[in-house]
Amino acid sequence: MGEILAVRDVRKTFGEVRAVDGVSFTVRRGTITGLLGRNGAGKTTTIRMITGIFMPDSGDIRWLASSDGTSFRDRIGYLPEERGLYKQMKIVDLLLFLAEIKGQKPAGVRKRIDHWLDRFELTDKRDAKVEELSKGNQQKVQLIGTLLHDPELIILDEPQSGLDPVNMVLVRNLLRELRQEGKTILLSTHMMGEAEKMADEIILIHRGQVVLEGTIDEVRGSFGKNTLHIDFDGDGAFLRDLPQVKRAAIVNNAAELSLIDGADPQEILQASMSRLRIRRFELASPSLEEIFIEKVGTETLSHEVAR
Amino acid sequence: MNKTWAVFKREYLQAVKKKMFIIMTFLMPFFMVLLFALPTMMMTKGMGVRKVVVLDGTGQLAAAFSNVPPPAPAEGERDRRPEGLPQKVDLQYVNAKGQDLEAGAKPYLDRLTQTDTDNRLDGVLLVPADALANSDAHLKYYSRSATDLTQEGLARRASRSAQHYRLAARGLDPKEIDKLIADFDVDAVQLSKSGEEKKGGAENLLVGFMLTGLLILPSFIYGLEIMRGIVQEKTDRVVEVLVSSMSPSQLLVGKILGIAAVGLTQISVWMLMAAVVGGVQGTIAAMAGDNFLQLLRPMIFVYFMVFFLLAYLTYVCIYAIGGAICNTEKEAQQLIGPFSMIMMLPWFLMVGIITNPDSALSVGFSLAPVWGPMTMYVRTLVAEPPLWHIALSIAISIATIAAFFWITAKIFRIGILSYGKRPTLPELWRWLKVA
Repeated sequence: MGEILAVRDVRKTFGEVRAVDGVSFTVRRGTITGLLGRNGAGKTTTIRMITGIFMPDSGDIRWLASSDGTSFRDRIGYLPEERGLYKQMKIVDLLLFLAEIKGQKPAGVRKRIDHWLDRFELTDKRDAKVEELSKGNQQKVQLIGTLLHDPELIILDEPQSGLDPVNMVLVRNLLRELRQEGKTILLSTHMMGEAEKMADEIILIHRGQVVLEGTIDEVRGSFGKNTLHIDFDGDGAFLRDLPQVKRAAIVNNAAELSLIDGADPQEILQASMSRLRIRRFELASPSLEEIFIEKVGTETLSHEVAR
Repeated sequence: MNKTWAVFKREYLQAVKKKMFIIMTFLMPFFMVLLFALPTMMMTKGMGVRKVVVLDGTGQLAAAFSNVPPPAPAEGERDRRPEGLPQKVDLQYVNAKGQDLEAGAKPYLDRLTQTDTDNRLDGVLLVPADALANSDAHLKYYSRSATDLTQEGLARRASRSAQHYRLAARGLDPKEIDKLIADFDVDAVQLSKSGEEKKGGAENLLVGFMLTGLLILPSFIYGLEIMRGIVQEKTDRVVEVLVSSMSPSQLLVGKILGIAAVGLTQISVWMLMAAVVGGVQGTIAAMAGDNFLQLLRPMIFVYFMVFFLLAYLTYVCIYAIGGAICNTEKEAQQLIGPFSMIMMLPWFLMVGIITNPDSALSVGFSLAPVWGPMTMYVRTLVAEPPLWHIALSIAISIATIAAFFWITAKIFRIGILSYGKRPTLPELWRWLKVA
């Protein structure tokens, strides 16, 4: 599958702050690509440059030429991080407007508006004003506005913020469905769990730079099988003090242990068996969460302590 | 183009549906007319009846202060009030010949300040015994108010009566005397080069204020509206969706033209209302005792449209810049406040411009950017400036609008997305050069 978007050595500075400092990556057609990073890592600035809101200070952003000559602005659907809706407008009028500024004819859009409102269970809110809707419903309206003009590339900045678990599943399924239809999705999030469930590829940004890039399997594989998942009964607090353990996340009766290089998991199993009742013991690749912390977490923490 | 149209449509429909628009459109003209007609109505109709006692030391002036109303004015001279009493006065004449005037006045003076309003007097005029013989004699008028306009009329009556008496004392025929001491009436007529005549005079000042108010007020109100809209789009982050879908210039053109269409709709309604009012012979104008429409030439309405649009687009650009560089409505209003005072400058100089429409000051303002439309309109209203002045003023305004639009589009491009602190002037300058 070919690339739909290539970002090359893009930089953007705001006053003294280097928000994006030489970011390069590509997005392949038909994938869900997760743009990951902590708050303030440079995700949103990168996205704003891709959508043409900001001009990069240097570097370039390339689009695969469209077959029918529509401008790139009309080929993307963009969901901003915070709600971007006219609060005083009626839902149906607003959606019409959002489609029109993407070059759609009003007559052709009405049917699609009704389809999407139905899909998101908002049909009864059709004539309500945006400000009368709950935050979650506003987010759904925004999402409809992003998809109405049937964009090739859908760019979503934190699409699941403000959604309840049911709606989160709704959005997750929708995104998978859109990928099935051949759409490309670039998804920015700081929720690693969600990214792991949806993304085919990830780009990890930290302090304005890409620190990790690849498919989820590649990324996890590159970290080797150095993570132990243990489910147990008893007090597992001692696990984090074992010499073979680099880092431990222990919640209730489950532990995720990152091992130091060359550590033998067998030794940990032995040490545990004498003190805990083991229900599960698995050596696996680290989770995205774990990789995230490994890559940027400790560094950031020490940075924050230093300040 | 379709995107600009979409923005235009949205701005227009959203604004026209607002309560503010409906109130402005239908109540503003009434409000303006009322504002200017009320003082006139008060002057002509009076605010109730004033009770005045005249103590006449000469005993000869009973005829002058009798309560007989002056003869009804003939057709076409409605405004002539030769006896010059601006208010309705209930006169009580007291013959005080041979009395001590000050002592005799005492009970009446007490009635000036008493609380029982039925019996209370509004004025007491003392005519000294030597008033007819001595031309240096002083009349004395007591009242509660420092600016009692009744006094002038009473003094005039007394003077005329005294003149009458003195001349009669020299053996002149009373009928002759009336002719001899008659006042002149002045009919103010404004003559234009095209030979048209229209009624001149003080009413022009009122009409000038009224029409200029109607000309510029919407610009300021909708200017604020557009500024508020832009700040709102920034805080609601709608602007991200907009700018990722179109260029800032497309957005700006759609917005400004959309709001301009709102303004045009509004004045069209006003023109229509004016036509209706004019058609039924001006109910409101007649109420004020004047027919305002006879002060206006038809070209005035054409100029109104032209200068309205020019003023409108100029101010709206300025407000759009304000909106683009500020992050909150409050901040924007504080920033734009001093600028609107500067923009309003001709309004504060209005009396000077109306009374001297061809002075260097008036001509200068009418050819200046920003101030031009308002001032030029006033000049066309009260005088007939040379056509090339009007053409030049329009050209300068169009150039100003083009320049403002260019600047606004550039600042818009960067400012609309900068959520940080407001840019300083040097920063703004850099934006202009970079974008």
